[in-house]
Amino acid sequence: MLKFILRRIGASALVLLGASLLMFFLTINSGDPLKDLRESNDPNAAQLMAERSERLRLDDSPWERYWDWLSGVGGCFTGNCDLGVTINGIDVLGLTQQAASSTLRLITLSTLLAIVVGVALGILTAIRQYSGFDYSVTFSAFLFFSLPVFWAATLLKEFAAIQYNNWIAVGQYAPWTIVIVAVLAGFLLQAVLGGSTRRRLATAAGVFAFVTVMLFVFNALDWWRNPMFGIGGVLLVSVAAGVLVTALTAGLGNRRVLYAALTTAVVGVIAYWFTAPLLVDEPTWLLLIGLFVVAVVVSVAIGAAWGGYARKQAMLVTGITGVITSFVVVADILIAHWSGFLGIKSRPISTIGSQTPNFDGEFWERVLDMGTQILLPTILLTLVSVATHSRYTRSSMLETLNQDYVRTARSKGLSEREVIVKHAFRNALIPITTIVAFDFAALIGGAIITEEVFGWKGMGALFQDGLNAVDPAPVMAFFLVTGIAAVLMNLLADIAYAALDPRIRR
Amino acid sequence: MNDIRNSNPDGEDYEPQVSVTSTDAVGLAAGGSAAPLPGEDKSYSQGQLVARRFFRHRGALTAMIVLGIVIIVAFTSIGIGPIPGWWSKDYTLQYDKIGDGAPTWAYPFGQDTGGKDYFALVMRGTQFSIIIAFAVGILSTVVGTVIGALAGFYRGWLESVLMRMTDVFIVIPLLAVAAVLGRMAGESGIWGLAFVLGLVTWTSLARLVRGEVLSLRERDFVLAAQAVGTSAWRIITRHVLPNAIGVIIVSATLSISTAILLETSLSFLGFGVQAPDTSLGTLINEYQSAFATRPWLFWWPGLMILTIALCVNFIGDGLRDAFDPRQNRSKD
Amino acid sequence: MTTLDISAPGPVSAAGDAVLAFEGLDVTFKTEFGDVHAVKGIDLEVRPGEVVALVGESGSGKSVTSMTALGLLPRNARVSGTIRVGDKVVGGLDGRGLRSMRGNDVAMVFQEPMTALNPVLTIGDQLTEGLQLHGLAYGRKATERAAELLEMVGIPEPERRLKQYPHELSGGQRQRVVIAMAIACDPKVIIADEPTTALDVTVQADILDLLRSLKDKLDTGILLITHNMGVVADMADRVAVMLKGDLVETGTADQVLNHPRHEYTKRLLAAVPHLGAGPGQFGDVAPVRAAAGDLPALELSSLVIEYHRLGKPTFRAVDDVSVSVAQGEIVGLVGESGSGKSTIAKCALGLIPAASGSVSILGRDLTRLRGKELKTLRKRIGVVFQDPASSLNPRLPIGDVIAEPLVVHNEGDDKSRRARVLELLDAVELPRSAYNRYPHELSGGQRQRVSIARALTLDPELLVADEPTSALDVSVQANVLKMFTALQERYKFACLFVSHDLAVIDLLAHRVVVLQNGTIVEQGAREDVLHNPREEYTQRLLAAAPVPEPLEQRRRREARHALLAQLGDEVAELRVAEH
Repeated sequence: MLKFILRRIGASALVLLGASLLMFFLTINSGDPLKDLRESNDPNAAQLMAERSERLRLDDSPWERYWDWLSGVGGCFTGNCDLGVTINGIDVLGLTQQAASSTLRLITLSTLLAIVVGVALGILTAIRQYSGFDYSVTFSAFLFFSLPVFWAATLLKEFAAIQYNNWIAVGQYAPWTIVIVAVLAGFLLQAVLGGSTRRRLATAAGVFAFVTVMLFVFNALDWWRNPMFGIGGVLLVSVAAGVLVTALTAGLGNRRVLYAALTTAVVGVIAYWFTAPLLVDEPTWLLLIGLFVVAVVVSVAIGAAWGGYARKQAMLVTGITGVITSFVVVADILIAHWSGFLGIKSRPISTIGSQTPNFDGEFWERVLDMGTQILLPTILLTLVSVATHSRYTRSSMLETLNQDYVRTARSKGLSEREVIVKHAFRNALIPITTIVAFDFAALIGGAIITEEVFGWKGMGALFQDGLNAVDPAPVMAFFLVTGIAAVLMNLLADIAYAALDPRIRR
Repeated sequence: MNDIRNSNPDGEDYEPQVSVTSTDAVGLAAGGSAAPLPGEDKSYSQGQLVARRFFRHRGALTAMIVLGIVIIVAFTSIGIGPIPGWWSKDYTLQYDKIGDGAPTWAYPFGQDTGGKDYFALVMRGTQFSIIIAFAVGILSTVVGTVIGALAGFYRGWLESVLMRMTDVFIVIPLLAVAAVLGRMAGESGIWGLAFVLGLVTWTSLARLVRGEVLSLRERDFVLAAQAVGTSAWRIITRHVLPNAIGVIIVSATLSISTAILLETSLSFLGFGVQAPDTSLGTLINEYQSAFATRPWLFWWPGLMILTIALCVNFIGDGLRDAFDPRQNRSKD
Repeated sequence: MTTLDISAPGPVSAAGDAVLAFEGLDVTFKTEFGDVHAVKGIDLEVRPGEVVALVGESGSGKSVTSMTALGLLPRNARVSGTIRVGDKVVGGLDGRGLRSMRGNDVAMVFQEPMTALNPVLTIGDQLTEGLQLHGLAYGRKATERAAELLEMVGIPEPERRLKQYPHELSGGQRQRVVIAMAIACDPKVIIADEPTTALDVTVQADILDLLRSLKDKLDTGILLITHNMGVVADMADRVAVMLKGDLVETGTADQVLNHPRHEYTKRLLAAVPHLGAGPGQFGDVAPVRAAAGDLPALELSSLVIEYHRLGKPTFRAVDDVSVSVAQGEIVGLVGESGSGKSTIAKCALGLIPAASGSVSILGRDLTRLRGKELKTLRKRIGVVFQDPASSLNPRLPIGDVIAEPLVVHNEGDDKSRRARVLELLDAVELPRSAYNRYPHELSGGQRQRVSIARALTLDPELLVADEPTSALDVSVQANVLKMFTALQERYKFACLFVSHDLAVIDLLAHRVVVLQNGTIVEQGAREDVLHNPREEYTQRLLAAAPVPEPLEQRRRREARHALLAQLGDEVAELRVAEH
């Protein structure tokens, strides 16, 4: 395995080298870096031109310039990185660090979301093949990957940001809005859950009633402006998550696993109770991450203790429940801070920039600010990837469901849930890992446009400005970051592949 | 980058297992010495079967009709080159504005800020986008097919070189390399742009074709052709590629939709079609701030892109189903 | 998953003790091309400790019948009639009832051990799953029971195997695992759908022994679905013959196999090649008429073929093999999977390179020739492959397929080519109207005839046939073999005939070469090698091949057990631990 990974890294390094050469030569030949000066009437244009030629080493041969860049990059291995300077003499390394952090944050978040949502949708559509739900998701998927990103961005700005911001100033739903939302929710959920006509009707009616009542209650409490969740809500959601995860993986019939999951949820909420003072005031990122790790470890330990004969399964279930509980806790804290945040920033969803300039708030309010800033670009990037992932998952899943071993599993008397989760899903995941890695590169491309539309100062801007000025250093920095990210992603996919498929482990 | 697992039998000594599943589609096996050919009255060639399945795909059929209408309208309305169209207004002329330029019967898509007829402009942009998309689709299909077929058929060092080359193009974000090339070719008009875009969008097709060729070259009819002394060229063109046509056509369709979105994205970023030419992307870029005040300037080009790309994607899906029908056939 | 539409309960079964009973079973599939009536109202039952063989060719509906017992047909199937498993009526069960029946009351052994096991789960996981599901054992107990099951089906080191994945086991071991899974919940009846078809003949004999001891010791009923009359003779107490969805004949094994009444059964039995009967079963083979000084049609000397695998040591598939085929002679190349027989055939065709040694066709070394000379030499070799599904280019009409070699070698004009193709279509007994048809419109047997016609287009002196009849139904195989012998009589080509089926080799070959793991075990005249084998491996191979006659097969089985005992091997059987 190690040998395999090393060989992949070696091959990837060669590919990166070739690609960098190509990129460099294309960039420096894409135009005339002195164009603006040649056309300017500035009396000291000649002097400026000389300066810029000197800085960009226009008089040296392209090979020398490439070698210079390459040795600068090579310096990164010995601790003195040099990515060159821009056309205006600014150090690119500093620019890159800033830009990469915001871009990678965006891309990583979108990728994770897209994987979770896309794979889930893909499985659901495969199970409900040729149902109305399947057709709607298929149509939406086609719609999303036929969507010009920049155009959709403008729509999103208008409807998800500007209109929402107008609405939140009041924060009340009109009664007919409530009815429409409830009808939609009921219709959607019955389509997802399926079953006989009677069951579908019951589902739809139940959901309709629930949503209607909830929304009227929210209106009455002015919930949208002063939301609260409370520890009871956290407990409720965590327990529900535990039950759901158990039902999906081990089956509710497996009492040991179920009890383990419930224990995890309850322990998580009790822990929240005790750590609340730490969390709610001015925590640090380090503390949060530390607590998260502790939570996961404790959850898995609960699974191990409860599990008995189903230990492995129990550990998986409690682990997932633990993670969900942690997220619910964070969500609770954030919700509690929402009204305070509205006080500081009355139009919460932003359409421009990666953070609000001169924003002054406490830790959780800053988190909320970051969240509302990243919200729209993330939605946009996620939508396109979700479309791809759901299609691939669907076809992979359908392919797997036709395999002989699935028939064997059914002939043993396993339920559909067990057949799908235990036998089909893992096999279906194998080809998906490759697609996800492949799609990552496309996502980076999408990020260039998204950043442009939402005015983020990220890698996209670095690239675009560099290319406009025929300035190789920032363009190459962009390439370096995205190329390495793509290679790492592929490597990750390879490892995931090997982890999923025992046949290629070596 | 992931080239190791396209189901290529990497030289394992694999003796075919004997299996007794029926190879016939549905017909019960005949085959006695005097057996007649089955189904004399309903015989379909491969192509007919594919067409039959395609036309049964309602989404694809609708998409095909819609796309046909879009193309016909785009090219006949304002005409192309010296040939005049049936639409009376010219996309270069500024007319007197009616009101704020909102859509009227005279100007169904409205007028832009300077009074130009927006319908004519959008049609002009649609023409350019379609020309570029199809040119890119054809070019990238040819390049991808050639590279994929050579790599898959000859294997060895040629395959390594070609696939590493493909990896080089894959590791650079498509939009980035297209932007750089588009900037270089921007001055040479749409054909230059189409050419460079074709040069960067062939990678996924090449990988797919290679995978297909890798499996086809192990098929018995290819081995039989080799054994009889058929030249490599003839094997590739007569035995291998015609059987990979499904993969090729489907990917070609999808590369057209990629090309449309890529071109509009580049034009939006300013690296694509340059003024005075117009594409749908440049129109959106020009008028994106008009959303609040003159929404029609924003909606029409976007909807046009969406319609074309959606149609192409649906046609691709229909073709995929038609070429590769994974039906649950009853086996015995 | 299942749409069981059972209108009224059928008549009460006469034999109340049947563990599996079909009454008036009728299955129709809705397909793109209209309805396919797969099973047309059949009655059949299996009693405890009894093996009922359901025999038929592809498309006869035998697998469909078996799948109805588990309620596992695809959605487009409509089922009517009554199916009873023990005292349960399958059609009356809801989803939960069906699931608790599957595995517990009726279990399944599938054809392909390669694909029947989930590749990403360990053997242990897949074995314990059923035990836990049906509440028989949990946790460590289940693991212990799984190990015990593996022990029972004769897999050594069961504890270690439990932690392994399916790809780490051989085909025969995998099939044993599938059987272990099937008996895990002690079902009343096991449905074995072609359980040995994908296996080598020696492994097949072991698996059959195992199944036999299983029904003896556990008193399980077995519904054995097979197309192989030898397997039927070896295993069955009763036989049911299926043709196009109908049961045409049922009776004891002796009745059906030795005194068939129905026309179809008679034809079917007549089509089975009988090992030991020698040539003449399907037409006579011309004697070799090569003079002493003639060059051999094919001469392989000290042939070594190696595969280079990335990151693994080089694999030597064929090691020091020397075979000679005289002009007009048919040499049978037999061996089990992995013996290198197909590899040798491919090398003789110049499709894969030899690491060392030489391949001479009529005195010219194929491995040394290049370009034009090589092409000229290739004119003199014809080839027929195994799989009729993939041996013809789906995009070319039959006429083009057969004419292709003429075009490649630039011989004749359109008219003469057409004449040649029609002549060949006649020779392989296909209607001339096939000229414009596409391969997918033909049945497997017809396609294989086209393959043979294509191989003969250039009038080759040597034909390489790689398992040409293995994928065909037995009656189709008989017709193709008949035609083959007639053609050989007429065109006098030499032939390297690769096959795993000793009975086919027995009726065709002049000489036989036995291969094992890439080396020659034994070679010589057919009578010597197949009737008086000297080598132990050949003896094992011959002893394991079943013949389609119950009494003779019983004798052969006992002889095989004696041989195994003499060689110090154990007979495969279910090992039931004394509790």
